[in-house]
Amino acid sequence: MNPSLAHGEVPVWNPRNYLNSPETGLRSWLLTRDHKRIGVMFLVATTIAFALGGFFALLIRLELLTPGPTIMDAGTYNRMFTLHGVVMIFLFMIPAIPSGFGNFLIPLMIGAKDVAFPRLNLLSFYLYLAGAAVALYGMVQGGADTGWTFYTPYSTTTITKVVPVLLGAFIIGFSSILTGLNFIVTTHTMRAPGLHWTRLPLFVWSIYATSVIQILATPVLGMSLLLVAIEHAFGWGIFDPARGGDPVLFQHFFWFYSHPAVYIMVLPAMAVISEVVCAFSRKNIFGYKAVAYSSLGIAFVGFFTWGHHMFTSGQSAFNGGVFGVLSMFVGIFTAIKVFNWTATLYKGSILFATPFAYFVGFLFFLVFGGMTGIALATVSLDVHWHDTYFIVAHFHFIMVGSTMMAFLAALHYWFPKITGKRLPEGWGLVAAVMIILGFNFTFIPQFLLGNMGMPRRYFAYPEKFWALNVASTAGASVLALGLVVVLVYTLFALRWGPVAGANPWNSRGFEWNTPSPPPPENYEITPVYTHGPHEYDQPDTALPPTASPEPKHAS
Amino acid sequence: MPADTTYLAHHFESLEKQTHAARLGMWLFLATEVLLFTALFAGYGVYRFLYGDAFRAASHGLETWIGAVNTIVLVTSSFTVAMGLERATRGDGRGTRLLFGVSFLLALVFLGFKYVEYAHHFQAGELPGRFYTGEHVQGPGGPIFFALYFLITGLHGIHVVIGMTVLAVIGWRAGRGAFTAEYHVPVELAGLYWHLVDLIWIFVFPLIYLI
Amino acid sequence: MAEHASHAQHPAHHSHVPRYVAVWIALIVLTVGTWLASKVHLPGALHVTVALVIAIAKGALVALFFMHLWDQTGPSRLVFVTSLVFVALLIGLTMADYATRFPLANPPGSEGALPAPDYAPPSSARTH
Repeated sequence: MNPSLAHGEVPVWNPRNYLNSPETGLRSWLLTRDHKRIGVMFLVATTIAFALGGFFALLIRLELLTPGPTIMDAGTYNRMFTLHGVVMIFLFMIPAIPSGFGNFLIPLMIGAKDVAFPRLNLLSFYLYLAGAAVALYGMVQGGADTGWTFYTPYSTTTITKVVPVLLGAFIIGFSSILTGLNFIVTTHTMRAPGLHWTRLPLFVWSIYATSVIQILATPVLGMSLLLVAIEHAFGWGIFDPARGGDPVLFQHFFWFYSHPAVYIMVLPAMAVISEVVCAFSRKNIFGYKAVAYSSLGIAFVGFFTWGHHMFTSGQSAFNGGVFGVLSMFVGIFTAIKVFNWTATLYKGSILFATPFAYFVGFLFFLVFGGMTGIALATVSLDVHWHDTYFIVAHFHFIMVGSTMMAFLAALHYWFPKITGKRLPEGWGLVAAVMIILGFNFTFIPQFLLGNMGMPRRYFAYPEKFWALNVASTAGASVLALGLVVVLVYTLFALRWGPVAGANPWNSRGFEWNTPSPPPPENYEITPVYTHGPHEYDQPDTALPPTASPEPKHAS
Repeated sequence: MPADTTYLAHHFESLEKQTHAARLGMWLFLATEVLLFTALFAGYGVYRFLYGDAFRAASHGLETWIGAVNTIVLVTSSFTVAMGLERATRGDGRGTRLLFGVSFLLALVFLGFKYVEYAHHFQAGELPGRFYTGEHVQGPGGPIFFALYFLITGLHGIHVVIGMTVLAVIGWRAGRGAFTAEYHVPVELAGLYWHLVDLIWIFVFPLIYLI
Repeated sequence: MAEHASHAQHPAHHSHVPRYVAVWIALIVLTVGTWLASKVHLPGALHVTVALVIAIAKGALVALFFMHLWDQTGPSRLVFVTSLVFVALLIGLTMADYATRFPLANPPGSEGALPAPDYAPPSSARTH
C-alpha cells in the first residue's frame, strides 16, 4: 500500500524534468553536463556490460555441466573465464553503483545543483566507453586467456590478444579516478548550508570512502597493467625469471590495487543498504557515526591486506603473517555495519517491499561471504583453499550476493526518483525470490566443491565433482531467469509503469525532497538543512523548509 | 563584480568555493600521479635490494653531472613558475607569460640533456631487458636497471612534456589577459602540476644517479 | 564575504618573492650537497639514508613553499600527506617480502639466491 496515496493525493509526474529539459535529442545527451543524465547513461552502459558478463558466466556453467568438454575446448574456456572476470569487474562492478547511482544521487542528497566538475564527469563516461571499446576489440579478436588477474609470466608470453584487454582496463581506470576525484571534491565543497559532515547521508559517506580508494589504488593498477603490456610487447624482463625478474612482483603491484578494488565494489553496496534499511524500517540508523566512520576504516585498512591473495605465491612467511593478521582487522568494520543495520531493524516498522527483500539477501550473503573471508585470511587454511572453488564461492558471495543484490535494491528503491514511474511490486518479489534461491544453489555447492579440492579455472574435472557442478549450473539458470524477469519488467515499466510521485516510499532521505523525475537544476532554491536524513522519530513536518516537493509546471 | 560573474560556474555558490574546489581537485589528481610513480619506485627498490652490486655499477656508468645539472635546471624552472604565479596574483599576465616561457625553455634544456643521455645509452647498448648488450655490468642486474631507468625517466619525461604544454597554454592565456589578480586559478593549478614534475625528479636524481 | 575575498587576494598583499628566492637557493645548495655526499664512501644503508633524507628535505621545500602547503589549510595537506603514507606502504611491504624471504626463493643472480644463468644474449621466451 503506497503510503502517500493514503493521504488522498494523486501522484504527479514532474513535467519539466532532467529527461526533457533543457533540451532533448541525442546531441543534448551526448554533450550533457547534467550529473543525472550522466548517471543514467552509466546505468544503461553498465547494465549492458552486466548482461555480457552474465552471458560469459552462463557459457562457463554450461561447459561445467559435464566433466569433459561440453560445448567448447580448453583454450576457449580459458578465454571465457578471463572475459567474464574482466567484463564483470571493470565494466560493471567497479563503475555501476558509484558512477551510476552515485552520480545521480549525490548532488540531490547534499542540496547541490551538480557535481564539482561536470565536464570531467562527462569525460569519465567517455573514458568508460573508450576503455570498453578497446577491451571489446580485444575480445572480438579472440580475447585473453590469462584470467582477469593477468599473472606473469604467462600474461607476458601468451599469444592471445591480451594487450587490448589490458589497455581497455587501463583506460577505464582513468574513468574510475575521475569519478572518485569528482565525488571527493563535491562532498567537501558543495554541501548545502546546514549539512555538516555529521548530517551527511550515509550513502554519501560510503561513496566518499570508495572515492578515496579509487584515487589512491587505481594508478597502481594502471602502472601494473602498463608494465605487463610493455613486457609483452618489448620483453623488458621486469617480471621474467629468465631475465632476473620476479613474477611475484607483478602480483604485489596487481593486488595492491585489486584488494582495495573489492572494497570499491562493496562499499557502494553498503552505501545503498544504509539508505534502504532506514527507509524500509522507517527508523533512524542505529549508530550513525559508527556506520559512517567504518566506511573510512574499510577504505584504509583494506590497503594493508593485499598479500592475502599471495599466501601460496612464494611470498615470504613474514609477509604472509603480517597480511594474515591485518586481513582479520578489516572484517571488524564490516561487522560493525552489519550489527548497526540489524539493530536499526529492531522495533522498526518494516515495509517488506522488493528493496527490503534484496536487503535480506544482502545481509545473509555478506555475513556468510565475509566469514569465509576471515577463514581464508588464516594462512594455514588458505593453503588448502587457494585457487579452488572455495575462493570462487567466497568472492561471488560478496560480489553477487552482496553487491549485485544491493544494485537491484538500489534499482527498485530509486527507479521512481530516476524515471518518475514505479516498478511492479508483485513481480519484483517473485524475481527477488528467484534470484536469492538461484544464488544459493549456484554458489553453496561451490564452497563444497572447493573444500573437496576442485581447482578453479579448470576446464575438466573428475567425476566425483559432477553432481555438485550440475547443481551449481541449475542454480545459475534460476538466477539468470530471475534477472531476465527484472530486465523485462523494468523495460515494461519505463514505458507503461504507473506514475510514482515525488516520494512513493515516504522516505526521509534528502533526495526525495525533489519531484520525480527531478528538474535539471535539482533545487530551484538551495535548501537549508536543520537535521540529518532518515530521522523518523521527528514529526513529518521537519523537512528542509525551502525545498518544495510540488512540481513546478513549465510556463 | 564583473570578474566574478565571468569566472563563476552556475553550480558553485561563490568564486571562493569554486577556487577551493579546483585546488582540491588538482591535489587529488597529483596524489594519483604520485601513486603512479610509486609502483615504479617500488620496483626499483626491490631490484636495488636484490641486485645491489649491479645497480651500483650501472649507476656509476651514468653521467652524474648531467643528472645534477638537470636537477638544478628543473628546480630553477620550478622557481620561475612560482614567480610566474606571483606575477599573476598582482594581475600581471604578461609577467606570468614571460616567466612561464622561461620555465618552458628550461624544460627544453632538461629534455635536451635527456636526449643526449638516451643517445649515449643506445650507443653503448645499455638498454632494457633482452636488448641489453652493454659490457659494463654482469648478470641480470644491468638489463633490469636499464629497464627501470627508461621506465622511470621515460614516464617522467612524458610528464615534463605534458607540463610544458600546460605551461605554454596557460602562459599564453595569461599574456592575453585571461586572468586577474582576483581570479587566476588556472595559473595556480598549472604551477602545482609543474612543481610535482620537479618533486618527482628530486627523488629520481639521487636514487638513479647517486646511489 | 570580505574576509574570504581578501583571503584570495592574500598573496598580493604579502610578497612571496623573498621566500621563493630563499627556497630556490636552498634547493640548489641541497642538490650540490647530495652530489657531494654521494662522493663520500659511506656504508650501504647510510649512503641511501643520507640521499633520501636530503631528497625529502628538498621535496618538503617544494611542497610547502612552491606548492603553498605551508599557508593553505584544509584538505589539500591531508591529501598530500595521505598519499605519502601509501607510498611508504607499497614500497615498504613489497620490499619486506624480498628482504624476509628464504634467500633461495629470490630471483637467480640476486644476493643469496642461485647463481644467474648465462645472459649473453638471452633468446625470447615468447611462444610465438
